[in-house]
Amino acid sequence: MISHHKSHKRKSIDSSLNDNFFKKHKPSNRHPLGIKPWGNYYLDKINNNNDDDINNNINSSRESGLGIISCLTDELILEILEILGLLSTKYLLSIAFTSKIFYCFSTFDELWKKIFIIEKCYNNGGNGNWKWKGNWRLTYLKNNNNHIINDDKNDNNIIISEDINNDNDNIISDDDNNNNNIVINIVNNFYSDILYQPILYQSIRMDNQFISKENIDKCSNLSLDEFNNKYAKPNLPVIITDLVTKWPAYNKWSMKSLEKKYGNIKFRAEAINIKLKEYLKYLQKNLDENPLYLFDKKFGEKCQGILDDFWVPNYFAEDFFNVLDNRPDYRWIIIGPSRSGSTFHKDPNSTSAWNAVIEGSKKWIMFPPDICPPGVFTSPDEAEVTAPFSLMEWYLNYYKETQKLKIKPLEGICRAGEIIFVPNGWWHMVINLEDSIAITQNFVGSHNLLNVLQFLRDKPNQISGFSSESWPNREEIYNSFLEKFQQNYPEVLKELGDKLDDKLDDKLDDKLVENKLNNNNNNKPLIWDKVKCDENETQNSFKFGFFVNEEEQ
Amino acid sequence: MVTEVKRVKLTSSEGTEFQVDRNVAERSVLLKNMLDDVGESDCAIPLPNVTGPILTKVIEYCTHHKDDPPVSHEDEFKKGSEDIDDWDAEFCKVDQGTLFELILSANYLDIKPLLDLTCKTVANMIKGKSPDEIRRTFNIENDFSPAEEEQVKFENDWCEER
Repeated sequence: MISHHKSHKRKSIDSSLNDNFFKKHKPSNRHPLGIKPWGNYYLDKINNNNDDDINNNINSSRESGLGIISCLTDELILEILEILGLLSTKYLLSIAFTSKIFYCFSTFDELWKKIFIIEKCYNNGGNGNWKWKGNWRLTYLKNNNNHIINDDKNDNNIIISEDINNDNDNIISDDDNNNNNIVINIVNNFYSDILYQPILYQSIRMDNQFISKENIDKCSNLSLDEFNNKYAKPNLPVIITDLVTKWPAYNKWSMKSLEKKYGNIKFRAEAINIKLKEYLKYLQKNLDENPLYLFDKKFGEKCQGILDDFWVPNYFAEDFFNVLDNRPDYRWIIIGPSRSGSTFHKDPNSTSAWNAVIEGSKKWIMFPPDICPPGVFTSPDEAEVTAPFSLMEWYLNYYKETQKLKIKPLEGICRAGEIIFVPNGWWHMVINLEDSIAITQNFVGSHNLLNVLQFLRDKPNQISGFSSESWPNREEIYNSFLEKFQQNYPEVLKELGDKLDDKLDDKLDDKLVENKLNNNNNNKPLIWDKVKCDENETQNSFKFGFFVNEEEQ
Repeated sequence: MVTEVKRVKLTSSEGTEFQVDRNVAERSVLLKNMLDDVGESDCAIPLPNVTGPILTKVIEYCTHHKDDPPVSHEDEFKKGSEDIDDWDAEFCKVDQGTLFELILSANYLDIKPLLDLTCKTVANMIKGKSPDEIRRTFNIENDFSPAEEEQVKFENDWCEER
């Protein structure tokens, strides 16, 4: 007997959620260096009573501070500085010295984050032996004895051996005013939207209006049949509330306990490797607009005993990719600070997923497979997806629009102890409302087997998560899977029988139909001929922002 | 059988008309998208942000690189590390004004390899120089007070310390 906790629209969400979202940020409108957004320029102009002298001063401070480079936009200047920094960060320190405005540009933390990550990417994510020092600039500088010089003709990067024995935490003093350890209040009359942006985003609240709507079903006491009939088969999401609370993980895991047990183990955060304890330091103290998200697919193998702390719920027990010797990535531990999350995407290979929150809370917003969310643009075959990289940016610019649509998205908050079923093909976007720990798995069951088969066959260029060593030719995956599946679950395909034919009809040759009819009565594996697929120019691996190649973990 | 090469007309800010092969023009993602949208047409595409001399240079670059493979995501991460080849280096031997105009045009026209090349050229002009030399190269005014200079120097040194 299911009991539904269908949430009514709440007028006000736990104020604690909103507070937690911002506990690390002390929103203030002042940029520590005194940089102002361009909006202020117009106000300041008026306040100066249109005094031409003062206004000319404002105009010329950018010119004199940047010299001839002032003809470029701020973005282009940062481009150049990024390239300069990749040659050697020493040069960034030099140019910071030239003028106050260059100082502002050269100390821009996002710039250092990018350089840090790119350099790690040259080394497959790096060896993970670095320590978080409060911001990216300091982290970079303090983790390198000298500066890596990348433009040697000999092509030998002078890489410093990182001192792993140096365990004393040189975290800078928690001085609120001197947060970034940079010289403060340095500029007057300098306006830059892009340099001011981090301050702007810090002060954006995750408004009630964005999180008060909850229309995803919440259930407990759900029988397997009920789940299959109400959610799996119709392909609808649901949040189950009485499952995760029974896992040992629910009581055992916390940031502290995980750090204690696994703190020195290296995990994967997007494109780089990092020790868990350092990541947790980062999580506690960072001002990133798009924080680095820890997403590790090898946690089961790396962390002794961790797999004993949870189990795959019976609803999701089917796991047909299991038949493959080299199965694609399928399970991850996810740890992230509030504000982190994933922009709109569909899960790979038409798999379905479950996502269990052990600690914290996640806001989910989902659209059915055929409805493209506002703000998201895809190529016709969905191989290419463009969406705002910043989650808050999407909420600010597009959320309101979703509430005016005929077909509204499904939304809900998955809290600690709850698990959400993400049906295959659904667009979804997730943002952590609090610092969160979660586990997620992707799977193929009876309810989405046909979709998966069709995807593997018709969109081999969009297949992802399969290691390229084991699967050099993506077009073979479909055949291999089908063959193995037939061996292991002959009844399933037989049962699906007609449905299979209907489903795969669009692309089926007549010859193949004949084959199927002839082979109907025996259990010999059916090897479908390779069917010519649509021409896809691009390869889209499952990536957010900075994901490079997850395979290279 | 000779494939007919399609020609495309571009107009610079002064109104001068340039004719280029379509595949050359399509090195610019902006132009490629416009041409895809417009289809067959005899109209010239106006480029009010690009002067004649700069457009000439841009066309020169695109013509030389017209058979290059398309830019991929991975190239994003190679920006800093690759050497500039000889032809590109010669191409960039222009006065500062022209160089910066090229950067702006490459950005506007969305020609990523040209943008990377020109930005890298500027980066090379900065690298290895002392702050004073950098200032002189680009006519930057030193607006630090002596006290502020001290602060920055102190911070730099602190950063460089282990």
